[in-house]
Amino acid sequence: MIVTKGLHIGYKSSIAEVQDIKLDAGVYILIGKNGSGKSTLLKTIAGQLDSIQGAIEINGKEIKSIRKSNLPKLISFVGSKFPDVDFLNVVDYIALGRSPHNDFFGRKTARDAEVIDQAIDTLQIQDLKNRFTSQLSDGERQLAAIARALTQETSIIILDEPTAFLDYLNKKIVLENLIKISAKFNKCILLSSHDIDLSIDAQRPFLVVRKDTNTIELLAAETSKNTIISIAF
Amino acid sequence: MNATKRQNSLLLALLFCLPIVAFVHLYVGQIELTFTDYLDSIFSFDSQNTKHLIVRELRLPRMAMGIMAGAGLSIAGLLMQTLFNNPLAGPYILGINSGSSLFVALTLMTGIPFFTSDFGMIANSLIGAFLFGTIILFFSTVVRMQISLLLIGLMLGSFTAAIVAMIQTASDAQDLKMFTLWALGSLQKVELSQLPLIIAVFAIGLFGALLAVKPLNILVLGETEARLLGVNIRRVRLFIILITALITGLITAFCGPIAFVGLAIPNLVRILFKSQNHRILILSSTIIGAIFILICDISIQFMEPYLIVPINALTSIVGAPFVILLVLKRLR
Repeated sequence: MIVTKGLHIGYKSSIAEVQDIKLDAGVYILIGKNGSGKSTLLKTIAGQLDSIQGAIEINGKEIKSIRKSNLPKLISFVGSKFPDVDFLNVVDYIALGRSPHNDFFGRKTARDAEVIDQAIDTLQIQDLKNRFTSQLSDGERQLAAIARALTQETSIIILDEPTAFLDYLNKKIVLENLIKISAKFNKCILLSSHDIDLSIDAQRPFLVVRKDTNTIELLAAETSKNTIISIAF
Repeated sequence: MNATKRQNSLLLALLFCLPIVAFVHLYVGQIELTFTDYLDSIFSFDSQNTKHLIVRELRLPRMAMGIMAGAGLSIAGLLMQTLFNNPLAGPYILGINSGSSLFVALTLMTGIPFFTSDFGMIANSLIGAFLFGTIILFFSTVVRMQISLLLIGLMLGSFTAAIVAMIQTASDAQDLKMFTLWALGSLQKVELSQLPLIIAVFAIGLFGALLAVKPLNILVLGETEARLLGVNIRRVRLFIILITALITGLITAFCGPIAFVGLAIPNLVRILFKSQNHRILILSSTIIGAIFILICDISIQFMEPYLIVPINALTSIVGAPFVILLVLKRLR
């Protein structure tokens, strides 16, 4: 679903080079030092930042040729910071994920309601539905954010450190949910993380930013913890 | 579902209150009029009858202007609060009114005849509002902290006040009085013949705001998230600034700079409706804003025999403490 060719990423000049990779359905965990370019890579693949050089194909299409308004139908993105808003209830928040599919006035169809319900069921957050997002715990917020991404019905979901502010149990719940979603809906899920142990337990392929050359490469799920640490840190 | 039901009934109740308050507003005043006077002034108008003239030339325009001023400023405030992701934003605090004031000061006190026409005055007020809106928009892309934008807005206000003061010292007594009266704010200066134009511009503003409901609902999440959901931020920003400048410029031209309504009412509406759905927020800000200004103006007319209170003073007296309370309760 995601294919890169000779990709260099960065804001003004290249800060990291991505070895040519091909990501199909599945969960991929991006690991690297702080400031190594993890967020930059995620933003670039999400189409929010132009690459310095090289190409990214999303479902066979060069990303720059995809209209900005169509991008949210192909890729959903869960940022590292949950928006801090009063009086926004969870259902309404999740429903915003449908907006790329809605008409000009943002009217909801029966299908929208169905997709929203399905997302809520998938993440088992029925009891959060009518709460305000400002009253949720960090773990609950993350699940709501994932549900919102799910309603976009994209084949790719990108998450920037979704487990960063969570306790161990919530980290596990989030990761398990992502693995479940990827398998159930055949999605490509790419997330960055600092939780090496948890990531290794998950037994998913890694994208690692090499500390010395700043190249990003794909490593098999079986790679040992020591190897990953020696490459990345 | 329950929340939607509650919101709808609340909206309905408000919709019911507005005409009642509007009627009361029509009735109050120093000269007592009967219901038949009102009916006659509309259906069998006699231009020699003073009572008919009072209804047509004074009370109706004043009521209509009150409704539009309250509604318009509240919508403008709501739009700015959502656009800048800042519950303390508003056309007054961000200096949009200052832009209008500056340009109106130029028109009223430079004595260039074109500018003193209705059209010239509105046009200038709109230009001033839009110019300052654009300046604020520019700063909003540069600053990171919410408080910074508010401070910049306040500085814009002080800056223009200084320039206006300079113009004032150089102008003659007649012009000076005209401007001072304008700056105090009033709903009384509108004439019946001007109403159609004002209503038309106001309707465009309201309609424009309603067109932006979808991007506004997404903008609640902040610009980054909105961009990720496919909102064309640049276009939406410009559109919203255009709409707010149009509304603020129009109302400021006719009523003077009215403070706090745009800041306070949308916050009150959010607290009442507990929603971030802008279809509901825009409609309820429109109604509550209108009711608020009408009630203010009714109180002003009751106090008139003893004390003359300009509308701007009253909205500040009520609005400022509310905003302080808001800061203490929600933003501390």
